[in-house]
Amino acid sequence: MSLARFLVVRLAGAIVTLLVVSMVVFAAIHNVPGGYEDVVLGPLATPELRAQTAEKYGLDQPIPVQYVKWLSAVVHGDLGTSMTSKTSVSSELARRIPATLELVLLALAFSLLAGVPLGIAAGLSSDSRFSRATSRLAGSLTMSIPDFVLGATLVYLFSVNSWWLRVGSYVGITEDLVGNIRSMVLPAFTLGLFGVAVIMRTQRDAIRGVLTQTFITAAVARGDAPRTIIRRNVIRNSSIPLVTIVAVLIGAFISGSVIVESLFSIPGIGVFFLNSVRNRDYAVVQAAVLLSATVFVVANMVADALYAVLDPRVGSTSAARGQK
Amino acid sequence: MKRLPFRGDVLSRIAMFVLGIMVLASLLPLVVTSLDPTETVGPRLSSPSGEWWFGTDNLGRSILARVLEGIRTTLLISLAAVIVSTILAIIIAIVATLSRGVVDQLVVRAADIFFAFPAVLLAILVSTIVGSGSQAAILAIIFITLPLMVRAIRAASLGVADRDFITSSWVGGASTVRLAVVHILPNIAGVVVVQATYAASIAMLTEGALSFLGFGVQAPTASLGSLVQEGNLYLTIAPWFTLIPGAVLALAILSVNLLGDGLRDRLDPRAARSLT
Repeated sequence: MSLARFLVVRLAGAIVTLLVVSMVVFAAIHNVPGGYEDVVLGPLATPELRAQTAEKYGLDQPIPVQYVKWLSAVVHGDLGTSMTSKTSVSSELARRIPATLELVLLALAFSLLAGVPLGIAAGLSSDSRFSRATSRLAGSLTMSIPDFVLGATLVYLFSVNSWWLRVGSYVGITEDLVGNIRSMVLPAFTLGLFGVAVIMRTQRDAIRGVLTQTFITAAVARGDAPRTIIRRNVIRNSSIPLVTIVAVLIGAFISGSVIVESLFSIPGIGVFFLNSVRNRDYAVVQAAVLLSATVFVVANMVADALYAVLDPRVGSTSAARGQK
Repeated sequence: MKRLPFRGDVLSRIAMFVLGIMVLASLLPLVVTSLDPTETVGPRLSSPSGEWWFGTDNLGRSILARVLEGIRTTLLISLAAVIVSTILAIIIAIVATLSRGVVDQLVVRAADIFFAFPAVLLAILVSTIVGSGSQAAILAIIFITLPLMVRAIRAASLGVADRDFITSSWVGGASTVRLAVVHILPNIAGVVVVQATYAASIAMLTEGALSFLGFGVQAPTASLGSLVQEGNLYLTIAPWFTLIPGAVLALAILSVNLLGDGLRDRLDPRAARSLT
């Protein structure tokens, strides 16, 4: 299969995935007990008033009809109207995207900057029993502390002590850069620590895998300097699996941002999603889930494409890789 | 004492020991009446002391007793969910491998679709539909862990299904059920055990996150996640209320993960950790 064809197939698969995701969410959210009318009008509303509200928002039509209407609007760039704020969902989302984007990118940068060097060091270091046990313990520990426990600990430490970093007072990046950094370091650390462990593991295993390859033996036999081998052969070849794992991490971070944003009071998509679920604000919930799923699916697609470009063998075996 | 499991693997032994202690301790309130998690035993929000080891909560209940109840709730929810998810994953994965073709592709696609939902969002959606509570947490964990387990187990059983002894017993007239149960299942048992252990750690994380956000276990029942959430309101004046259950939860998850690594080294040494 050629590279172009491989990418087209992946794109089609991604679109189908997103369509089904949107259907599942649509069907799910419309089957939630306690519909929008109940939330807005309260338990004492008359049946007429409820019917009126339902009609106004098109909630009286069959769910498939509502879905098709919603989908055709989405394709035309209209995500609907938030029923609680009465403004367009796209503008509400756009207002909140920067905070979440910044949080996820900072967490990702932290994971890579700390995880890659640690992974390289672990992969190249001698394999003594003690160093293996220490790195295993450190890796498992960072993977095992739930983000809300780590976050709560940091919130406590930084609210009783007046250390430089801030908790719970978000400052936008355009307002005040230093203030923004002060308010974002702890959330990004909380979200990214798990990523450090994941990246470290991946990098370490990749290095170990590369070290046993025949081209390394060949380079050693040629008499290349160890530094050159490590830089040119080992590190370059071991960075390929990172591409895939970064895409997975982006998904994990979007998921974790719901918790981190509510812990540190960051006005992003995650908190918006939580409030909208509580308010049964259908349009927002659908849009937020679809947005997150799209980011995840696109990230995976980009990773696949990069993978195919970086590793020329993928072109022909990609179909098998997608299935295995 | 000469045949303890995990020879030469100190960390896994410690993890097993810690988990054992936790399970036993969580059963204590069932026999020791002074550890009643619903009883008011002292002043509100008093700090840890000789009398109340972990302090008291906002209603003057012993946090020790509530943490023990929380361990039990969290472990039971995780266990129930992982058992269901493992059994379903085994069935789906083996059926997919043996039927190949369309069914197999459908399974792979369905796993991809569930995988595209961010875990916490998926859990919250599940919980709003079935209503907050233990069932919601169990169902959410199943939805999150099932696609991961199906992927890993399917890959393992595909590897087995291509081997010669499967072909020869199929040629010899063995039924599909016999192929699945007698030939494939024992050969993927190691992978299943390892993946189920990792799934248990994801289960505990999910239960914690869901209860922390208020969509999981509801008061008066305590889980480790819901205790962290209750205590979070009093974080600056009574930090122990949040930090102790949080630390216990982290320790439990750490032990399960270490145990999973130990099991993997024993049972499935070539595989890298696939559940992240």
